[in-house]
This record gives sequence, C-alpha cells and structure tokens, in this order.
Amino acid sequence: MILGRVGRALVVSELVERLRDRWVLIITALFVLLASGISLYGRSAADAQSTVTAPSIVTLSTFLVPLVALVLGHDAIVGERERNTLGLLLSLPVRRGEVLLAKYIGRALALCLAVGVGLGVAAMVLEPGHRAALLALIPPTLLLGAAFLSIGTAISALTRHRATAASLVVVLWFLLVFFYDLGILAALVATDGALSQDTVAWLVTLNPAGLYRTGMLVSLVGTEALSQMGLAVALPSTALKAALWAAWIIGPLLVGAAALHRRQAVTG
Amino acid sequence: MKVQLCDIQVRFGHLLALGGVSLDLRAGAVTVLVGPNGAGKSTLMGVLLGLVRPDSGHVMVDGRPHQGLPRMEREKLGYLPEAVAFADNLSGRQVMRFFTRARGLSRSRADAVLSRVGLAQAAGRAVRGYSRGMRQRLGLGVAILSEPALLVLDEPTGGLDQQGLTLLWEILSEWREAGRTVLLSTHDLALIERRADHICVLHDGLVQAQGSPDQLRRDVGLPVQISVTIDDDAAVGALVAQLQRGGLADVQIATDIDGRHRHLVMETAPDDLLQVLRIVDGAPSSVRDLRVAEPGLDDVYERLLEVTR
Repeated sequence: MILGRVGRALVVSELVERLRDRWVLIITALFVLLASGISLYGRSAADAQSTVTAPSIVTLSTFLVPLVALVLGHDAIVGERERNTLGLLLSLPVRRGEVLLAKYIGRALALCLAVGVGLGVAAMVLEPGHRAALLALIPPTLLLGAAFLSIGTAISALTRHRATAASLVVVLWFLLVFFYDLGILAALVATDGALSQDTVAWLVTLNPAGLYRTGMLVSLVGTEALSQMGLAVALPSTALKAALWAAWIIGPLLVGAAALHRRQAVTG
Repeated sequence: MKVQLCDIQVRFGHLLALGGVSLDLRAGAVTVLVGPNGAGKSTLMGVLLGLVRPDSGHVMVDGRPHQGLPRMEREKLGYLPEAVAFADNLSGRQVMRFFTRARGLSRSRADAVLSRVGLAQAAGRAVRGYSRGMRQRLGLGVAILSEPALLVLDEPTGGLDQQGLTLLWEILSEWREAGRTVLLSTHDLALIERRADHICVLHDGLVQAQGSPDQLRRDVGLPVQISVTIDDDAAVGALVAQLQRGGLADVQIATDIDGRHRHLVMETAPDDLLQVLRIVDGAPSSVRDLRVAEPGLDDVYERLLEVTR
C-alpha cells in the first residue's frame, strides 16, 4: 500500500480541512454559479443544448480549474512550514514523500468534489437527454485540475514562504492559461510562419491547459475544426496524451518530494 | 529509551549551527536545553527527531547509531514544536483526531487528552479562535497523546498562563516518575529551574556548560546572598566589623523607612556560607530575621553567557 496509517489519516484531515476552507467553498460556489448560468443559457438552444453548452463550459474550466487547483496546492507544504507543524508531521512515523502524496490526494479529493458539483449541477440544469455530454467533461477536467494541483503542490515544497508560493502560482496561472498561447502566436508572427504546424501543435499540447483544450475540442467538435485551425496534423495519440497527463501529474510531485526530502525541516 | 547525541555538527551554508554537541538523555530525567535565540536548541532537537541531517555526528538510540531517530522509534516520540499554530479552520477536536488516527489510537483517547489539557469546552471551536496559550495546550496534548517514551518540547512555556504552566509541571513530573525521557528547550530558565534534572547551556552552537542545576551553580561559583534584619545599631556595627575582618562577605546596610530596623545584605562565596551564618548566629539576640538566597539558575546562565562574550 502506498499510504500507511499516517498517510491515510493525513488524506482525511486534508479533505476535512479543505471542506472547511471558506475560500474553497466560495470558488466552488462561483464555479457552480457560472457553469449553471452557461447551462441555463444553453437550454434555450432546444435540440442543441449540449453542443452550445459544453464548449463554453470547457472554456470556463480552462480558466477556473487551473486557478482553483494551483491555489489549493500552493500552501500544502509551505503552510505547514509557516505554522511550525511541518516538523511535527515529519516527526510521525512516516516518509517525507508519503506526506506530500497524502496532502496531494486529500486536496485532489476536494478538487474532485468542487469540479463534480460544478459540472454535475450544470448538467442537471440541462434536459435529461443532453446531460451525458456535460457529465463526460468531468474526467478530463479532473485531469486538468490534477496536473495543476501537482504543480501547486511542488511549488509549496520548493518555497519557504506562503506569500512567495501564492505569487508564483498566480504568475504561473497567467503564463500557462493566458500568455502561453499568445506566446506561440507571437513566435509564429516573429518567425513569419516558419514554425511548422507540427511544432505548433506540439507546443500547444505540451501545456496541460492546451492539452485539455485541444482534447476537448476534438471530442466536442471533431478534428475538422482543428484542421481549420491548423492543429489537426500532429495531435498526439491517446497513448501519448495519457503519457503527457501522467508526466504533468507525477513529474511535479516527484520534484516536490525531492525538495521536501532534501530540505531541512527545521532551520532555526 | 536510551538516547545519546554524539558530536553533532550542523552547518547551514556558512553558518555553523552546531559545532560538535554531545548530550545524553537519561530515562526518568528532564533534560533542559537553554540558550539565547539562534543558539542551536531547535536545530539540535531537529537532529534528534530526524528533521535536520547532521554534517557529522550521530544519534545513538539504545546503543545503535543513527542519523536521527529512526522511523520505527518515532512511534514512541511526542513532539511539541515552538509556537505551533495548527490549521486555522480545523477544530481542536479535529486536530486531535488526526493525530489519534495517525498514531492508531482510539477516538476516546483524543477526548480524554483534550480534557486533560483543559480544552474540552473549546474542542469544537475552530483553532483560529484559540489564544496562543490554548494553541500551546493543544500542542502539548498532541505531544502526550500516545504517552511517548521520549517527549521533546521546544519552548513549551511560551504563551502558557499559570494554569497551563501547572499542567506542564504535572506532565513533566508524571514523565519523570514513569521513567520516561524528556528533552525541553527554553530561554526562561528561572521558570523551569525546579523541574530540571540536567541542564545543557548552548551558545553559538557550542555547549558552554552542562550538568545538574547544583553542579552548574557550584561550577559558576556565584555568591550566596544573606539578608539580616537587626534593630540594634551597636549590634550592626559589631557584626559588620566581624564579617569584614575575616573578609568573608561584602556587606551593604540599608535602613527601614521607619528608621527602626537595619537591613544587612551580604554576599559571600558558597564555601564561606557556613562560617558567615555562624557569625550571624553568634550576634546579640537583636537579629529579627535571616534569609539565605542561593543564586538563581537564570543568574548562573547570565554569568555563563557573560563569560562567552
């Protein structure tokens, strides 16, 4: 078993702590409100309810879920360090990597609840025949959240102050969610279109937000729409996409675990 | 559990945090680490707990060398970090239940310990509403939850009111009587003076002195203070002359507000105390009051730090 007694206890405690966290409740409520609003608007489209609603919800999720996940993860370790409880946790009979993993799992469960409730409520707003398309968004949206939660958790293990971690996750959110695509666009313009379509497609899918967005576009509107955007050529296979998701989820966690292992838990 | 810290050296970059510190933790004894901020107390505790990797030296646990307390031995450990805060949005009961689950204890143990540390009434409240003293009590509760064989308390008196201090003294006395090991750190030696069995004075990562409180007092050799109240001027003169003739004590004389009594405050070397008392005892019967005050451990500590400056 990956998690021992301490790890399992920590997962439960993390989940309880997140569910009592006002910020998490507020952001979940906001997600529910916006997703339901989009669904309500989509209901007016009669037969095409899910066709209208799902892409808008994907766009909403692309912006909101990474932010929620990064904020959820950013104080996982550094928060304990600032409260002087990191040493207390690590003085329990537990491996350091297990502490990081347990914190990640506990927070991931809270994220699952937030995404599940948000998309679930949005689906319920639609007529029964159109709900499946929205419910199908839940697993990939959870992957997106899991990847950004992993990045946030790694940042929490790499930083010494919560304020630094908070600033870094906000900067990263802007970089990966807003400016990354703009950067690719700028590179295209700067090179006067010299970048090949394959390269562009690869660059887009190397970013977890891009990987999610293109994956969703393919499943919702088909490859034709992507071809028109010049992205269909080299979209990764399912196996490669799975590998990319795994890399984005496991990679940062390994970096975080290594940082936690290397760092002295007490420096006073 | 027999624990020895052997020649521990820790560097944080260029800073020497501990420069070869050795310390034996005896079962059934309260060992106190004392020193100013940055002396290396928390770092030494961190090495013991396995939170800080020493550059050299090792921790002997029941005769076996380790880098820090091994994972299995941490089952028998209770630890209170300095100024512990806990998650703001959890209640005291939720915090305690996490640690009972983590240690494989029953739920009822959490409630019992919350009562023991005087938090039964506040157990359902979020920690964010706790005072510093209440958080310290909660931390103390977490530390004693599994009745550990080794209790490590980093600045445990911080924020505690008199009731909290009484609770701490009770715990220290229980642990000592049960033959368990206690290591605590403080920079308020006066407060802990009567509860310490062994004191280790750290300064700039080095051991300045260590031993029992009596041994430290003897080693430092601070004078003993004797106060005598006399209401006869002639007797005062005779007594002072006798003391000064033998060079036994520095004497200062003060007069009461009402002018009736004279107070003699004498300082003498511990070895001369018996002789001075004999002289005072031989003085005329006008001696109304006599008090002898040994130097406090805080005085001993200050003297030790003065020597290092």
